[in-house]
Amino acid sequence: MATEKVYWKGFDQLANTDVAQRMAQNEFAQEIPVDQFLGDESIVGKAQTTRRDFLKYLGFSTAAATLAACEAPIIESIPYVVKPDSLTPGMPTYYATAYVDGQDFASVLVKTREGRPIKIEPGDEGRFNRGTNGRAQASVLSLYDSARLRQPIKGGAETDWATIEADLKQAVDASVTAGKQFVLVTGSVFSPSFKAVIAKLRQSYNNFVHVEVDAVSSSEVLDVWEALTGVRALPTVDLSGADLVVSFGEDFLSGSSAQQLSKAYADRRKPGKGMLRHIQVESNLSLTGSNADKRVKIKPSEVGSALAYLYNQVSGNSVSVGSLSDSVKSAVKSIAGELSASKGRSIVLVGGNSGANAHLAAAVNAALGNVGSTLRVDQPIYIRSGNDRAFNNVVADLKAGSVGALVIAGANPAYTRPGFAEAVAKASYSLSLCDRLDETASLTSAAAPVPHYLESWADYTPNTTELAVAQPTIRPLFNSKSALEVLGGLTGEKQSAKDWVKATVAGYGLSWSQTLHDGGASINNGAAISSADTASKAQSGASAAAEQASSVKGGDFEVALYQKTVGAGFQSNNPWLHELPDPISRAAWDNYLTISAKDALALGIVNETQSNGALNGSLVTVKAGDFTLENVPALVQPGQAQGTVGLAVGYGRSAAGRVADGLGVNAYELNLSQGFGAVSITLQEGEHEFASTQLGNTMMGRKIVNEVSLADFMADPSGASWNEKPTFHTMDGVKTASEANLWADHDHETMHMWNMSIDLNSCTGCGACVIACHLENNVPVVGKDEIRNFRDMHWLRIDRYYSSDMTDARAEEENIGAIDKYAAMEVPGESPEVVFQPVMCQHCNHAPCETVCPVGATVHSREGLNHMAYNRCIGTRYCANNCPYKVRRFNWFNYQKNERFTDVNPAQDDFGRMVLNPDVTVRARGVMEKCTMCLQRIQYGKLEAKKAGQPLADGAFTTACAQACDTGAITFGDVNTAGSAVQVAKNDARSYHLLEEVGTQPSVFYQTKVRNRA
Amino acid sequence: MNRSKKPTRMRFFANKVFRVLTIALMVSALPYAAHAEGDAELGKKLFKANCASCHKLDKKLVGPALGGVTQRRSEAWLLAWIRNNAELRASGDADANAIFEEYGGSVMTAFENLSDDDIKSILAYTDAPAAAPAGGTTGEVPTTAPVAAEGEDATLLYILGAFLVLFIFLLLRIRNTLKEVSGEQGTTVLQDANALTKWLASNKRFMTALTIVVAVAFLYQLFWFLMGVGVEQNYQPVQPIAFSHKIHAGDNQVDCNYCHSSARSSKHSGIPSANVCMNCHMYIDGSEIVNEAGQLKYGGDRSPEIAKIYAAIGWDAENRTYIENYEQKPIKWIRLHNLPDLAYFNHAQHVTAGQVECQTCHGPVQEMEEVYQYSELTMGWCINCHRETEVKTANGYYANAEEGTQSINERLAAKFHDESITVEKIGGLECGKCHY
Repeated sequence: MATEKVYWKGFDQLANTDVAQRMAQNEFAQEIPVDQFLGDESIVGKAQTTRRDFLKYLGFSTAAATLAACEAPIIESIPYVVKPDSLTPGMPTYYATAYVDGQDFASVLVKTREGRPIKIEPGDEGRFNRGTNGRAQASVLSLYDSARLRQPIKGGAETDWATIEADLKQAVDASVTAGKQFVLVTGSVFSPSFKAVIAKLRQSYNNFVHVEVDAVSSSEVLDVWEALTGVRALPTVDLSGADLVVSFGEDFLSGSSAQQLSKAYADRRKPGKGMLRHIQVESNLSLTGSNADKRVKIKPSEVGSALAYLYNQVSGNSVSVGSLSDSVKSAVKSIAGELSASKGRSIVLVGGNSGANAHLAAAVNAALGNVGSTLRVDQPIYIRSGNDRAFNNVVADLKAGSVGALVIAGANPAYTRPGFAEAVAKASYSLSLCDRLDETASLTSAAAPVPHYLESWADYTPNTTELAVAQPTIRPLFNSKSALEVLGGLTGEKQSAKDWVKATVAGYGLSWSQTLHDGGASINNGAAISSADTASKAQSGASAAAEQASSVKGGDFEVALYQKTVGAGFQSNNPWLHELPDPISRAAWDNYLTISAKDALALGIVNETQSNGALNGSLVTVKAGDFTLENVPALVQPGQAQGTVGLAVGYGRSAAGRVADGLGVNAYELNLSQGFGAVSITLQEGEHEFASTQLGNTMMGRKIVNEVSLADFMADPSGASWNEKPTFHTMDGVKTASEANLWADHDHETMHMWNMSIDLNSCTGCGACVIACHLENNVPVVGKDEIRNFRDMHWLRIDRYYSSDMTDARAEEENIGAIDKYAAMEVPGESPEVVFQPVMCQHCNHAPCETVCPVGATVHSREGLNHMAYNRCIGTRYCANNCPYKVRRFNWFNYQKNERFTDVNPAQDDFGRMVLNPDVTVRARGVMEKCTMCLQRIQYGKLEAKKAGQPLADGAFTTACAQACDTGAITFGDVNTAGSAVQVAKNDARSYHLLEEVGTQPSVFYQTKVRNRA
Repeated sequence: MNRSKKPTRMRFFANKVFRVLTIALMVSALPYAAHAEGDAELGKKLFKANCASCHKLDKKLVGPALGGVTQRRSEAWLLAWIRNNAELRASGDADANAIFEEYGGSVMTAFENLSDDDIKSILAYTDAPAAAPAGGTTGEVPTTAPVAAEGEDATLLYILGAFLVLFIFLLLRIRNTLKEVSGEQGTTVLQDANALTKWLASNKRFMTALTIVVAVAFLYQLFWFLMGVGVEQNYQPVQPIAFSHKIHAGDNQVDCNYCHSSARSSKHSGIPSANVCMNCHMYIDGSEIVNEAGQLKYGGDRSPEIAKIYAAIGWDAENRTYIENYEQKPIKWIRLHNLPDLAYFNHAQHVTAGQVECQTCHGPVQEMEEVYQYSELTMGWCINCHRETEVKTANGYYANAEEGTQSINERLAAKFHDESITVEKIGGLECGKCHY
């Protein structure tokens, strides 16, 4: 039926005015001045070049250009003059070292090629904190950051180290004579050598003051533990003996806490009898909260009262409890019941930096008998030791003018502590030992570069049982000197950092070579802390802490600060960390105020999807006391507790480098040392453009992430009821998706068959795998604008789905029609459950992409992989259109050359280019790319086996994503190897294929998620 | 620097012809030389293999100069000393101990494996070094034969062509003469040619055929020209050091893997670092190189080419020490085999796993005075080899298996039965094996 409807462009057209008529006749709104140019005889006539000449020139230059292109360039090949024995060009060399960036500590292995570190891998089994989170993975790019300081700087001009050291010595001596202080400000110090230097400084100078300041403070919590145990350190959490973990706002899976808990958590969350149950009580929807079996929403100010109430419930005491909403009260009551049922086998964690809350949590654990079992106070962790009171004293002294010499090493207080910037100028002399001219270093009278952790010698005692040794993996790129040497030199100790470390290792009676090879050694540095004493102290102090907690004032709105993958902001200038979308909000390149839908509506905050699918949001002003933040974008976040907002730290840098500067807002400026506080929010003019990577927020009732409750899982181990395989009615009867087959099967039995299993039960959604993939496979960084266009290049993405309040069952019950039902299903619930699903190329054995490629650029291998030949691809993008999983990525631009990406793409930088993996092609514009299942690693692993003349062992190598996964959610291997881990996983009742009904027969399969619902 | 792609095809042939001539000369000279100095020639080889790292004929190195040593010592003494000098010294021989003292107590290796005849041959060589002939092995003859045939073919064609032209000219003359004899007016050759051209130009069929032939020939040439873009076969750039693979791998039989050691384990074959060169060139400075006329090529001075290694690494050849705090200058070789970045090639896969001879791809390097790219290095060339080459299935990777699993060989046998297992059959033609 032909439509009679007529669409008007505007009122003009409707009225059919003269202008509108003219416009309709002419293609261009304004006349093109062709006549003015060609009609002017004087111009055309004078021209020396006739049309024929022009064509000649054109033809000649085209031919010349063509011929010139045929000539290949001369390539030089320059060998070493004296080749180091340990190095073979073309082969990787690994070094064990420790990753410390001011916030995290991890034991890592560094892969180097031809002397360049190119990949960070987890450290040896058994090392403390051996996992690599996203920041650890990305840290290798921070080494090649061209924004790093290259020369010592004095008064804005470059100088040399001799001048810096002489000036420092002079300033320190002058401070002694003037009776002023010599202050050293550092981050948390847990290096024995550095402590030795500090002790020496203390000996040499009576006026020496050392303060530690953490970017995200744990000072009050540390005060509590210091009072309870006598040691200023956090206790070790031991999940291996826990059946129930209750966390009050502690985001222990996101990698922001001192101790890595992901692996222990995932190990205890294996489905089956005795599976760890996890309850999260929080205001922001955190990564940890989205993994919880039960999540309770609470305002940050209520946490103290809730803990006091919980303490009363589990201990039978009655400490004072502040105001608490009924819903929270009943939730806490049921939590108390569960906790009491697993005394000694549970743990209560608390986030933020409130001393009262920390003390109450300790008291709850003490009352439950967890201290000494799951909460190992006798095994302190020294990674955090910042002291805000001492730091505030120093700031006061600075302001009072009683500081002569100020040295800042490994800290950036001008960025993280409002008010410090004004105080710096009051010191007679200030020196910043820093990696870049950051907010602090640009204020001090001198600044000098320290080496990156991959360039330096260092030692650490992160806890009582571990000595970690960090060794350089590359010669220092710039004229840097470690703080150890600079400060050691001040005391007259002229030894190198290596000598310091050697002395430490010798001091523990350890073998130098073995310790260096292993990246550390086990030591026994035990602190004599009695669990019983600690527990009784915790209980006896509970009522005082409860008093303090009940006096905390809430507000209409309360903010809780949190950390995204960027963390506290030490690596803000690392584009990989920004390119990784936030696991929850799926927004990249930003921080923003997360707010609940109801509050947003009340405040008039709008999030609107634009015609191109991108998201725009309102801007607000946030005020906490006297501190104001303007132009904060607001993002509506399902699961956010009403009356609360969240804001990530680590953004709003002003002197970090071209990637980070001006990105987001600086949440530290709200001066919330406890990590939360009451704020007021006002809507302001303007709109913010978000770069979100996911449009669909729910699964719309489909089986994308398959989920089952623990009870159902245990009741039906075969999975028939909860992991139903799709079937089809055919001429030959009912068939499964793999039997109902259009094509001939490939031969997958003769050689290897690479498969991958992803356990959705273990995946926490942290995103370390995405960054590992990014750096292993030279994936380009595309920046915010392109992400907004949905042109992100990640080969591996982690889809996040919220549950909706609407289900098929409810629709039937309430008699809701199909249209209304599906409309409601699109909307995430107010308190949604969250699931994560890593999706990469599924390597379909009947791949839809292969059948549509007109040039055969994507073809199947007999090892179960879907190959992509970049040099054959002509960029029709049919394959991406035909891919049901949407995992193919198209190179819209020449990201390595195009000026649009200069600020973000490290491959455009002489230093940044050094991080590229030489075994993987850098793709050109106009070709399609996708996950290869780390083909370079497969080929390398097979070759190593052939060189050794041995059959390929299961687990001899793995993909970058599987290697980076702390929780072991990704299993990779050959299903043709009997008993291989991946073969076992494939035959598991939980295993299923994504969109199995499509019949693509992927080589990747998923393991059903099991929730431990009560 | 311009890429001096030295030999165009013509020059390459010229080089080949020249090479054939030189080799032919050498080969013809060989029988006489071999006949004249049998002992000394064996002695030279043995000297190079065993003695040259510490001794020279005409000057002191680590040990004394050995030229004319038979005049200074008795043969019996020399035999005893060379066989086991420590024993001789222990026996209290005064001369032996004196020499030991004179050379600062540096211990000379014992050569128990050398027979009396061997040692005598060495001594014969030290007596009459100049008489020993330079280089040239008979092994080169067969490989050069086809080259010679190729050259002859071309020349033969030219000669035949010349004969044809001459023949036609003669026929025309005869025809003219016959015409004149029969009383008709004679024509000159030029007139004949003009008449023929006019007739041909006006003949439509001929012109059509000619056009087609020319067009097809042009397209054919254009196609092969374009196919050759980026194919650098015979590429022979001028290297910073006139290094001769012929001397090293050919004459002196140095194993390829001695210098290109990473070929066995890595993707790169590796260009040896200067310290590897110094393993030998600490002692061999090229002063004894003899030119074709049998005279010392550099007049007894050290070779300027070897001096470039010394300059790179900082070796003081006069004092035989490394110069301290020397700013080393890496040698900038010109890379010969340039695969595009999109293709992944791994030497270890071919050398160790596939046990392919270096010469299969790199050609007779041991005969190359100046090395050039022997193979096309095109994808078709790779693929052909993968189609034809059999997998070395004796490797434990294929032959062995973990408990309870079939080995790859067993699985291959189940699928292909008695067929030979080529690289193609195990997936060697798949895109992703080389492109990722």
